[in-house]
Amino acid sequence: MGNSNMSIGRYAIYACLMIFAVLYLMPLYVMITTSLKDIEEIRQGNLLSLPAAPTLYAWAKAWGSACTGSECEGLAPFFFNSIRIVVPAVLISTLIGALNGYVLAKWRFRGSEFLFAALLFGCFIPFQVILLPMARLLATFGLANTVTGLVLVHVIYGVAFTTLFFRNFYVSVPTELVKAAQLDGANFFQIFRHIFLPISLPIFTVTIIWQFTQIWNDFLFGVVYSGQGTQPITVALNNLVNTSVGGKEYNVDMAAALIAALPTLVVYVLAGKYFVRGLTAGAVKG
Amino acid sequence: MGSLTISNVTKTFGSTEVLKGINIDIADGEFLILVGPSGCGKSTLMNTIAGLEEVTTGQLLLAGEDVTERSPKDRDIAMVFQSYALYPTMNVARNISFGLEMRGVPKQERDQRVQEVSTLLQINHLLDRKPSQLSGGQRQRVAMGRALARSPRVYLFDEPLSNLDAKLRVEMRTEIKKLHKRLGTTIVYVTHDQIEAMTLADRIAVMKDGVVQQLGTPNEIYDNPANQFVAGFMGSPPMNFVPCEVNSDGSLAIDTSGHSLSLTIPQSSTLKAQNISRVILGLRPEMLTEPKPERAGDSVMALEMDFDVTEPMGADTIAIGEWNGIEILARLSPEAGLRAGKSTPVQVDLSKVVLFDPESGERIR
Ligand SMILES: Nc1ncnc2c1ncn2[C@@H]1O[C@H](COP(=O)(O)OP(=O)(O)OP(=O)(O)O)[C@@H](O)[C@H]1O
Ligand SMILES: [Mg+2]
Repeated sequence: MGNSNMSIGRYAIYACLMIFAVLYLMPLYVMITTSLKDIEEIRQGNLLSLPAAPTLYAWAKAWGSACTGSECEGLAPFFFNSIRIVVPAVLISTLIGALNGYVLAKWRFRGSEFLFAALLFGCFIPFQVILLPMARLLATFGLANTVTGLVLVHVIYGVAFTTLFFRNFYVSVPTELVKAAQLDGANFFQIFRHIFLPISLPIFTVTIIWQFTQIWNDFLFGVVYSGQGTQPITVALNNLVNTSVGGKEYNVDMAAALIAALPTLVVYVLAGKYFVRGLTAGAVKG
Repeated sequence: MGSLTISNVTKTFGSTEVLKGINIDIADGEFLILVGPSGCGKSTLMNTIAGLEEVTTGQLLLAGEDVTERSPKDRDIAMVFQSYALYPTMNVARNISFGLEMRGVPKQERDQRVQEVSTLLQINHLLDRKPSQLSGGQRQRVAMGRALARSPRVYLFDEPLSNLDAKLRVEMRTEIKKLHKRLGTTIVYVTHDQIEAMTLADRIAVMKDGVVQQLGTPNEIYDNPANQFVAGFMGSPPMNFVPCEVNSDGSLAIDTSGHSLSLTIPQSSTLKAQNISRVILGLRPEMLTEPKPERAGDSVMALEMDFDVTEPMGADTIAIGEWNGIEILARLSPEAGLRAGKSTPVQVDLSKVVLFDPESGERIR
């Protein structure tokens, strides 16, 4: 008797999942189709219909010639600004996090637990709180409105998270490995390099994806601490959508939004399976 | 060359004193075994010898040199851990040679050393494997190989066999003994297993609560325990402890299966002279056996006992009876074990009985 009941239950679950999947994917579908339509079709047509004559016009314009405020060079320059901010910020914050985590997990010292708690607290400080003090600090260092300044902000803000990730990963590594390596004559950095780095791929993946997504998608720091020529893509996207020359070009807006979102999507698709694996990775079994 | 002197070493973690003044002199080439109940500080002592923990007070001398302040890598000590602690991402060969690599030994020499060590331990065919691809016994060998690679002055083994099954443990025990014979290097070895302790050790240090209770050869520890704790800790099945009244002539009053006996023991004259009225009698099970005419003598006494339970162990049978209301184990031959029951004739050999003070547990000699 149970069999048919179970399969009915199964179908209900699948149907339910399908409905939610469609609901969640709907906006993406609308964005993609709209970005491929021309403006005439958008004005007349149905929001959900497929493009009658797909065109990359909107993509080209969003990338190369759309107006973001007074200039009209598209998103391209800002895309590269973002890359110049994200790459060093992700690498530096991840490396610092790895070293911090290694120390907090395996080289406990007086007050290290307190330090860790304080760092954790850093994860919960809202962005708004540090806006003004950070602006002061950047001005003092002469880094206001520079890419370096933005990298610094993201590194500082990110270290709390990256440290947390690495520390929690490294506490599950048996301390006897450290002792054995010490007796083998390895020093602090050699132990990190030869014992800890080689087992860290999962946690590096998690941290890099996390940091990349956070920093790439950041708008607040970008809008506050950037100047002419250093604005990240999120800020430019906002400007692009809010600048209207003539009528509103929804297809260009959609293409621009997709361009801005693409890198994080690509990173997730490429490394996503390591991400999930890394989040659940437990002890290192010998 | 590899002598080790542990002098007044104490270690406190926060407010708990884990080592309370340890003094042990270990001769060059000696095999010293540390035993004691869980939590008594054995691993802590090993870690302080290795330099992985700093001593709170006291001194460590290696070959006469003070190494108390030296870092682990400058002490020339190698250690085998209970969990093996093999480097998970390195293959067996690199696990073995890592210590040499860190000390700047050239590649060619390292490879040669790996070959020597792996031949000695019969793990040549495993050199390319990762630790996760090895069985427990193979991991254990690799862990030993890592320690052997550097030819240090002292080896520390912290319960190296406790993760192995019984058969493999016996095999590895023999191999360790052979290895020690062959290398002649000083070894300090922690174990829970008394047979391991008795078979391997030149000397045994019995620890309890951070204090060495007794330090001596296996025979001294077994036959001449310093106190009731040591007597009860070494030996399996354990020594029988029977509280007794002392008669006025110095003999011990024993009540078994309705008979009253007076045991006159070698210590009787001392008991009488010192006017001691109560003692705890310590008697090893193998001293209580079926009658063996060939062993009759002054100190052997015949009696009858009731046995409620017998436990055949193969080579002999443990029979459980009662003296003064306390369970007492006898070690009978398998044949005698089959006949054991009500009013079984047995003999007790009193030449090796030991006596303890009921209050302090200290030995009365
Ligand atoms: N880092 C530490 N901080 C605080 N207490 C510790 C620390 N290391 C050990 N101890 C305590 O010291 C005592 C001795 O520990 P140790 O590991 O030396 O025992 P052991 O004799 O090796 O026991 P086992 O046979 O179970 O391995 C224990 O009570 C333990 O809780
Ligand atoms: Mg221990």
